Amino acid sequence: MTSPAPPSSAARLDEIWKRVEAALGTDGPLPARVAQAAAIATGARDATLYLREKDAWVRTGETVPAPPPAGEIPDPLPEGIFVRDGNLWLPLSAEGELHGLLRLCDLPAGESPENATLLAFLLGAVVATHRLSRQVRDAEFELKARLLELESLYDLGLSLGGQLDLSALADEVLFRSISLTDAGKGTLALFEESGALLLERSVGGEVIGAGDAAAWKLPEEGVINNAADTVPTAGMKLANCQKCLAVAIAVPGRRAGVLAVADKESRDGRVLDFTATDARLLALFANQAAGAIETARLHKDAIEKERIERELELAAGIQRQILPRDVPTVAGLEIAARNRPTRQVGGDYFDFFPLSGGRLAFLVADVSGKGVPAALLVSTVHAAVHLQIDEAKTVAELVGRIDRHLQKYAATRKFLTCFFGLIEPESGTLRYVSAGHNPALLRRSSGAVEQIKATGVPIGMFPNAAWREESVVLEHGDELCVYSDGITEALDAADEEFGLARLSRLMTADPPAKICDSVFEAVSTFAGETPQYDDQTLLLLLRS
Amino acid sequence: MSESCKVSSERRGDVAILWTDGYINNQGGEEIAREAYSQLDQGARALVLNLEKTRIVNSIGISILIEVLEKVMDRKGALAFCGLTPTIDKTFRIMGLAQYAEIYPTQEDALRGVNPQPA
Repeated sequence: MTSPAPPSSAARLDEIWKRVEAALGTDGPLPARVAQAAAIATGARDATLYLREKDAWVRTGETVPAPPPAGEIPDPLPEGIFVRDGNLWLPLSAEGELHGLLRLCDLPAGESPENATLLAFLLGAVVATHRLSRQVRDAEFELKARLLELESLYDLGLSLGGQLDLSALADEVLFRSISLTDAGKGTLALFEESGALLLERSVGGEVIGAGDAAAWKLPEEGVINNAADTVPTAGMKLANCQKCLAVAIAVPGRRAGVLAVADKESRDGRVLDFTATDARLLALFANQAAGAIETARLHKDAIEKERIERELELAAGIQRQILPRDVPTVAGLEIAARNRPTRQVGGDYFDFFPLSGGRLAFLVADVSGKGVPAALLVSTVHAAVHLQIDEAKTVAELVGRIDRHLQKYAATRKFLTCFFGLIEPESGTLRYVSAGHNPALLRRSSGAVEQIKATGVPIGMFPNAAWREESVVLEHGDELCVYSDGITEALDAADEEFGLARLSRLMTADPPAKICDSVFEAVSTFAGETPQYDDQTLLLLLRS
Repeated sequence: MSESCKVSSERRGDVAILWTDGYINNQGGEEIAREAYSQLDQGARALVLNLEKTRIVNSIGISILIEVLEKVMDRKGALAFCGLTPTIDKTFRIMGLAQYAEIYPTQEDALRGVNPQPA
């Protein structure tokens, strides 16, 4: 650009420059204006500018610059200005570098070759300057692209932090990965903990079937780069890809997914190798995706936990509504009863039914299962007992009716153990059915403790089952203890059960309410901090 | 998402609206450039590029859009974008496209922007 002009040509140069300057000041892309300036300055009928781009010639002037037809530009190129087919060809150089060629057609007769030399000198400087400014612009574009990568990583981190929808998360990561690596295609697969495919998103390629984690055979280091021949074994699911870059999405303890892009594009349509920067960028995206997947999973777990908590709350609410708040007052009897639900809400149920003639019916039941299903079954049993109690003539008949009711109406095959008793305080006669329930304890006034064993199978367990009704007489001072297995099977830290023997020893001559307190206190002390998973129910009945 | 970007256009006075559908990469950018140059050659003064069906743009696509923008500016015309996703919006702003082309939320806004006094 700074090559000195011939000193004798200063005036002529000034004249040509004025013509060129006027032409360059017009509208349109610079190559077209350069050609136009050359035509105006020389009086040529037509001018064409060829630019040297990456060791190839490009003809300007058309809407889209294109390579000239073969043979249009002489090869090898003659030195300096030359004439060919009646056209004058001017090499446009600056700083010893050839930047372009100008073809001038039909120059007016007598046009000085010196003018052409000066013109070539001037326009060479113009084209070189234009090229330099384009290089500056490209460098600026590259810088902006790097800034965009950094901004994208930052934005992705922000948006994924609150992204709990895995599908949206996959799109976000995949789109940015493809965009910032200039890939033509890409895919992102996420796997379940079992390794099964959870979801797969794909852009620009045909996905060949679904694959599980094992199908995506990434090497140990977790990256495949530009190895077209390993693409099929890498499990790349994009059809017809030439070069791929794939990284694992790793969460603690497992490979949660694969992120892959393929066929890096260039402006001229070639497929380029992915760069180390691309690999680093993709790995960073995969890391961010892994973090977001973990967040989404933890959120899902938290929601599930909350759902269970709500369910337990509901179950506990149902149970609280059903259990009697007070024990009845019955002449000739002292009664105490208590239920201590566990966090898991089992299915203990006790109830009293004061009947005519001062009689009292009562029951302690333990239904199978836990949570809402158990609470609903308790609710069904509660309704059945209240419906049938006045209909049945004997305890055994009542138990049979409840059994049939459950067989008919309970949603799922559930069963319960139950001690059902009917006591006449005046005579002390207790008629009872123990449907597979724990042995009740009968403490005689003498202090001896007897066990009252089951008289049949649990209710709801077998169709057409029958229960034997038995009776026993409670003398004055005798006390009956009916309980659920949450008492006797309470565990301590050493996994030892509280047991029937400990409960028997607590059956003293104290009033029922006091014994009740003692039993619950003893069970609590015994269990210590060990969590208990069964409701604890105790019903005490003393014939005073 | 489909592999190839589809471009359609419509003239409204001296404004051409171009709708893209798909990935604006090399192929997508070329499609846009072809359609844009065709519209310019047919006398369009301003272009509105509606990208509401595009979710990915790469740097090749952006460089082609810059070429289109330069061509429009050479002709003293105007170029406006609309329907950009937040990610593409930010991309265009960082890459300098928003320096010479306006970005509008909707097509109507863009049309008003490039043609303040519609016929």
